[in-house]
Amino acid sequence: MTHEEAFSELSAVALDTASADVANAVRAHAAACPECGPELAAMEHTVALLGELAPAAQINRGRSAGIRSRLLMRARSERESRSAPVPGPPDIARGVASLTGQGQRITPNAQRVVTGESRRVTPAQAPSVPFDVVPARRGVNWYAIAATVALVITGAQLFRVTSDRERMRSQLAQVDTTKSPVDSLTLALSQKDSMIAAMTGPDVKVVALTNQGARQPLGRMMWNRSSNDWIMVAYNLRQPKPGMTYQVWLVTADSKISAGTFHPDAKGNTFMHAKYAMDRNALRAVAITEEPEGGMPSPTGPMVVAGAA
Amino acid sequence: MTSESPAPGYIRSPMNPSERAQSYSPENGSNAEDVALMRRIVEADETALGALYDRWVRSLYSLVLHLLKDPDEAEDVVEETFWQAWRKASSYEPSRGAVSTWLLTIGRRKALDRLRARKRSKEDTVTGEHGFADMPSTAPDPSSEVESAELREQIRAALNELPDEQREVLELGYFTGLSQSEIAEATGQPLGTVKTRMRLAMQKLREPLAMYRGVRE
Repeated sequence: MTHEEAFSELSAVALDTASADVANAVRAHAAACPECGPELAAMEHTVALLGELAPAAQINRGRSAGIRSRLLMRARSERESRSAPVPGPPDIARGVASLTGQGQRITPNAQRVVTGESRRVTPAQAPSVPFDVVPARRGVNWYAIAATVALVITGAQLFRVTSDRERMRSQLAQVDTTKSPVDSLTLALSQKDSMIAAMTGPDVKVVALTNQGARQPLGRMMWNRSSNDWIMVAYNLRQPKPGMTYQVWLVTADSKISAGTFHPDAKGNTFMHAKYAMDRNALRAVAITEEPEGGMPSPTGPMVVAGAA
Repeated sequence: MTSESPAPGYIRSPMNPSERAQSYSPENGSNAEDVALMRRIVEADETALGALYDRWVRSLYSLVLHLLKDPDEAEDVVEETFWQAWRKASSYEPSRGAVSTWLLTIGRRKALDRLRARKRSKEDTVTGEHGFADMPSTAPDPSSEVESAELREQIRAALNELPDEQREVLELGYFTGLSQSEIAEATGQPLGTVKTRMRLAMQKLREPLAMYRGVRE
């Protein structure tokens, strides 16, 4: 490309309207040309400044919060999955706690309140296949709010909540008067109490999750519509295939909200808890699908269990 | 920071050393804060990504919404843009401009990609509804920072100084992503004329806006 040819294309390149071939040729020339280089830089800067003229538009706060949460979760997930060492290995319990205020550790004897593997919420992005519900339009509400659903603790069966509670109460009675452990135990106990209340309140909607051919329900989703607590238990799940994970979906008339990913414990059981506000009549179904590790923006894999609300 | 893979459409060519100061950073304070966030992002600190998002989501969303006219798509582009900022943070070079400019450049490119995809699928046609004139001079602006308003007024004034035919080709290129050949076809003007008008428009804008290249650190 001659200097004249490159010069005549500078504005198109700056505006990103030149073909890739032309743009590459112009940039190659500009990189070494004392006239075209600064000219292109100045034009690109001018183009970028034009963006400042856009009329101020207010992004929906809820959706913006969803995007933000999703970005941070994707970023954290990517950081954690990088093979290269990164500073400060993630403390899952603490990370979850930062999202939801849950997932505390018990300090005495370094014993965890809840065993099992924690998973963060995975973003939902576009409505899709496996659910037999009304197709949702692209990018609807659930997309933004999905990431506000914070699933916090998994891997333990539901009954463990109450047994943990009793065990903690016992520990609390035995522990010395050191303030910090007592505070930790008290906090954990309080959380257990809250969870039990969430599952047994008068405004709890229960969705049975079943699988085709199964005679007994394989899981339940309990939604306390007063407190916005969501608690899911599932039993006898097979382990997902290598590289795959289970993903929970809250299905409304026009969306499928990703409620997070999880791996069941060794016995195939799972217990999850989320805080998430939803219109009390919006839920149509709950489903779990098998998806690639990290989750998918919309359901793509086979349905494992599901239930109508 | 290094410059392994410059962001699409971003400045590659050398700048005058006097221009290597930080560029204008409109409504959210010094660009130095953004640069610091970018450094943390390079170190995989996702909280910095959140902070950067908080600072620039509004500006970015405003631009891509204006381009796409579709809130859902605009939100998608916003997310894609910040995700690219996370993934390609090491390609950002402070010497080449403000972080906000970098983000807006990425966002605009992604928005144009979508506009072109629409055009390819014949779901949309260029109607000429986009234009700088659509951009109100009294847009609601909660931040209402003086410099931001000043910048917008400066840009608007510079645009108003352009002859109509030059502003037209610039608008078509900026808002629709049409190639110069396509603009020539759409306007019925020879390709050479379109190129000349666009170049002149850019050159005329450059001078009054040059001051925003090296404003504040």
